[in-house]
Amino acid sequence: MTAFPIAPPVRALVRKELREYRHHRMIVLTATILPIVFLILPMANLALFDPDRSVGGTNLAVGQAMFCFFLSPVIIPATMAAFAVIGERDQGTLEPLLTLPLTDRQFLAGKVIAILIPTIGASFTIYTAYMLFVLLAVHGPVREPVLDWTWPMGFVLLAPALAAFSTLVGMAFSARAKDIRVAEHLSGLVLLPAMLPVMLVVTRTIPATPVTWLVFVTAIVVLDFLLWRMALRAFDRERAISAV
Amino acid sequence: MVGGWHGKAARLPAAPDRADYPYVTPSAPAIELRSTGRNFGTRVALQPLDLAVAPGEVFGLLGPNGSGKTTTLRILATLIRPTIGSASVLGHDVVAEAMEVRRVIGVMPEKPSLYERLTIRDNLSFWADAHAVPRVDDAIARALEFVGLGGRAGERVGELSKGWRQRVSLARAIVHQPKVLLLDEPSSGLDPSAATAMERMIRELVAGGSTVLMNTHRLAEAERLCDRVAILRHGTLLELGTPRQLRNRLLGGVVRVELAAPPDTRLQHAVESLPGVAGVDWTGNGLLCRVEDAGRDTPRLVSGLVGGGAQILSVVQAGDLEEAYLELMARTETAVLEAAA
Repeated sequence: MTAFPIAPPVRALVRKELREYRHHRMIVLTATILPIVFLILPMANLALFDPDRSVGGTNLAVGQAMFCFFLSPVIIPATMAAFAVIGERDQGTLEPLLTLPLTDRQFLAGKVIAILIPTIGASFTIYTAYMLFVLLAVHGPVREPVLDWTWPMGFVLLAPALAAFSTLVGMAFSARAKDIRVAEHLSGLVLLPAMLPVMLVVTRTIPATPVTWLVFVTAIVVLDFLLWRMALRAFDRERAISAV
Repeated sequence: MVGGWHGKAARLPAAPDRADYPYVTPSAPAIELRSTGRNFGTRVALQPLDLAVAPGEVFGLLGPNGSGKTTTLRILATLIRPTIGSASVLGHDVVAEAMEVRRVIGVMPEKPSLYERLTIRDNLSFWADAHAVPRVDDAIARALEFVGLGGRAGERVGELSKGWRQRVSLARAIVHQPKVLLLDEPSSGLDPSAATAMERMIRELVAGGSTVLMNTHRLAEAERLCDRVAILRHGTLLELGTPRQLRNRLLGGVVRVELAAPPDTRLQHAVESLPGVAGVDWTGNGLLCRVEDAGRDTPRLVSGLVGGGAQILSVVQAGDLEEAYLELMARTETAVLEAAA
């Protein structure tokens, strides 16, 4: 942790957040069960794949499997992001927290980094496990499309950007909403339509080429930047503590 | 100087007494509010308030719920901005230099507001790290030792009693050794022994050089602990001064004297003719004496009694801060009712 080139207060906040996550049942469940489900589903999908009975063929089967991996960095941070500000307020810790020498930017940055670490960690772990499974245990027509290098490239580029997107949407709602569930639901309403371009790629409506991924990543990074600005603007200390 | 620092206080009737203002010095105040006011929409939470707290002073904000105490504390803690006026802590403006203010203050909220899933050590290390405290383990050990929790750093906060959580909350507020402490009801909900321990700890912090601004509903505690107090109501400053000044102003300076034997007529005449004595009720072996200024006239009264041959068993000032506070509340209530009529 000390290797982070970030200010001590931000580092302290990240460390505190990670410690809290470890002891928060809802977050632990979200950050462990969901990745396991997102790993088992594609593995089962490939293991049970029968080219003779498949409607969409190998490409669709591989695409469906990949959709789970693209979904995981979007779904995993939702609870943590919604909890970020409202959770602090509900447990009464927001007021003293805001008396620490943290600017608004540092406060939100600490929260975002703390969410991205387990999200990206879990997403990459399950994808690595999936690739190992394919390398060691999958034979037949689906093996080659899965090992096509454009998929790992797309995942490595897109997963962090998607995780940041989901986190920032959740944070923006968490900074304004009065209730964690409201923030989660509102985030869901924004996040699911945002998955449409990914859906078009995994169903091969748009080809999964390096150019496609680069365009997607660029678009999402721009969106992330705009969302960061929006989250910063949405975060108002007085408003945040007003419900205390 | 007093009028300059406490604009509102200047309209109060009591004459400044240097002996009662040992903390009003030409040095820069640790905390200063300059016509600081705050509205929430159309509701006025705090009328423009002028106040200065000197370094090393314990200053108490008293008043009923909704009087503006917490608003004042939140402004100083940089949690909310004043609508008008300005405020500073150790010379740093709470709006323009909020980060500098946050570095020099320690805040203890009314509720402990700790991370209950984490251990005491985790809670404190977060605060110490955020303040970039060198040698965090030493700082935590020192803070916990101070609040009497040495050796319990590994316990989870959620498993502690209210009193212990309050101690952890204080330890968190002091782990970075701030020069100014803002305490919101530090002994709220504590049993008498825990409240006494909290009082002792605050006194020790002040002895170590800290300046304390505290909100409290415990008037006896404020009387023992605070060098000066301000009484607020409906966001308006009603009174400001030392607890003794407030008692004198609001209760008229009544002194109760107990004698070893009933006074003779000569002694009674001598006492009644002393300067500053406004009236005397003789009660068997004692007297209840109304003086103009208890601080100035009580020694003169005692000298007069001793000079007249009386043997004094005890001298106490009648009434306490609580009585003075209730008297003030009753007066302002009457004033409000009359204004409404």
